[in-house]
Amino acid sequence: MCDRNANIYLPYLATVEEVIDETPDVRTLRLVFQDEQLRENFSFRAGQFAEYSAFGAGESTFCIASSPTRKGYIECCFRAVGRVTESLRRLEVGDTMGVRGPYGNSFPIEQFYGKNLLFVTGGIALPPLRTLIWNCLDLRDKFGDITIVYGARTEADLVYKRELAEWQERSDVTLVKTVDPGGNGPEWDGKVGFVPTVLDEVAPSAENTIALVCGPPIMIKFTLPVLEKLGFGDEAIYTTLENRMKCGLGKCGRCNVGNVYVCKDGPVFTAKQVKAMPLEY
Amino acid sequence: MQKQITEANLRLLIDSLLLKGQRVVGPRQSGTMVLYEPLASASDLVTDELPRRSIKEAFFPVCEDLLEYRKEGQQIELKDIDPARFPETVLFGVRPCDAAAVPVLDAVFSWDYKDQFFLARRAKTTIIGLACTTADDACFCTAVGLSPNDPKGSDLLLTPMVGGGFLVESQSEKGEVFFSTWQDRFSEPDGTQTQALATPALQPLDLKKIKAWLDDHFEDRAWDSIAVRCVGCGACAFVCPACHCFDIVDEGSEKAGKRRKFWDACGFSKFTNHASGHNPRDLQPKRYRNRIMHKFKYYDDKFGQTLCTGCGRCIRVCPVGIDIAGVLEEIEKK
Repeated sequence: MCDRNANIYLPYLATVEEVIDETPDVRTLRLVFQDEQLRENFSFRAGQFAEYSAFGAGESTFCIASSPTRKGYIECCFRAVGRVTESLRRLEVGDTMGVRGPYGNSFPIEQFYGKNLLFVTGGIALPPLRTLIWNCLDLRDKFGDITIVYGARTEADLVYKRELAEWQERSDVTLVKTVDPGGNGPEWDGKVGFVPTVLDEVAPSAENTIALVCGPPIMIKFTLPVLEKLGFGDEAIYTTLENRMKCGLGKCGRCNVGNVYVCKDGPVFTAKQVKAMPLEY
Repeated sequence: MQKQITEANLRLLIDSLLLKGQRVVGPRQSGTMVLYEPLASASDLVTDELPRRSIKEAFFPVCEDLLEYRKEGQQIELKDIDPARFPETVLFGVRPCDAAAVPVLDAVFSWDYKDQFFLARRAKTTIIGLACTTADDACFCTAVGLSPNDPKGSDLLLTPMVGGGFLVESQSEKGEVFFSTWQDRFSEPDGTQTQALATPALQPLDLKKIKAWLDDHFEDRAWDSIAVRCVGCGACAFVCPACHCFDIVDEGSEKAGKRRKFWDACGFSKFTNHASGHNPRDLQPKRYRNRIMHKFKYYDDKFGQTLCTGCGRCIRVCPVGIDIAGVLEEIEKK
């Protein structure tokens, strides 16, 4: 007997339906909830996160990387760097894992209707925006231009390579992909340079545009001034913070940035909100 | 409602509760220290020493099971831990600084998601507080707005009387029910004076002024000097009645095991460490700052309460002699 109202730490059980290697150490798992009713009814919004468990190793926090418009499954994407993620990587198709969530706030997508969208992201930080990218592409007529600036250290480090190819083909998406200097192979057809530099070079218009930024702290630090220069206001820039969490429920005291609990007040914040926070993320 | 009880009747009452099969927890000798632990008889009760750890573990144990898992082929079988299984408990001889922390913790465990591991125990527990007639150098309840006979958090509060016995005041419905259930053990107050209360040395602090400084001084060189000695052992958090940070850990193998919740501490260097190696609180002063900020600013911002009751335990156990009351005094002077 499992009562998730009485025990908020009890995960749902999900079956690994598909395993996709994005890079040598980044993996996507497509998960299907074992409870049929839940499979139909599980709903979340782009930007929300979950606690994923490999039983015996523990729980890890990642965003839900698939789009809420794609029903019947969810996806997570992670780099195998620790005890839990190494164990998650050992799971095979048909294996069972745990999922708690969805938790946290989300992108206010309805407020973006009628606007242009500029996604700026790097490396393993594409998954938290990919949920929103597909969410918007599945409602394509509700938005203006959609531009994606995505970079990684090397070609091999780009995640969702097949989707990047798909976005590159689409006439209703502008994809600008880049790798750090030295990260390009002989076949590379994208740009070479760090994300903030490339963004500055591409110089997308800020007019009627929302910028959605996710990346390592260093990328965010250098990207925000470029967006500012391009004319983006603090409230037209959204990001999603990824502090370490355990409970995801506003109790365990770990993810706070000053008095802001990333798990409850976030993970999605505007640049204005982030600037008001102390430097603790 | 006020009543009184003799020392002998109090002990009879505890033994009667135990005979009825009631779980009774109070300060008792446990190995080399006094801890709040289940009593086997009234004679176990120790009333002249503050337990080494606080009463929070009656609601939020050092570690507890959240679930059990067992793998069969590719399937996982989960066994739920039902918080409703927690037994009815009476806590005897709880110091006001400990009892006062319990309603403070209610806020974090009940906002939004309800943590029934805490709340179910809370609902099933009656807290019988005991006012303090002695204080040591580390006690500072009066500095943070409480007092040696503060009723906050107690369902019944015992105050020692001159010549023995206790004056008993009910503070809640649970207290009233306890009075009526055990009315034979109590008698009407006969006017006997209560003993003089403890007088902690520290003067009341201006917590509003301290918070106002914290509001504006996240970045301040003072943190380096305040925390320079901190070795990050976490002892302060473990003995604190109000610290509630925890970790969730699987114990066992891939085949079978338990998921458990453990006390954790923001003073530990890996507490906020990201998988990437990035650590937002990478230095000890940042971690100590979080401890002070959480207690005297963040918790106030979020729940309108202070996450400190002045029990002084963190001062007593700190291996490098950091005195949180002294830190607060220093901030108050700024």
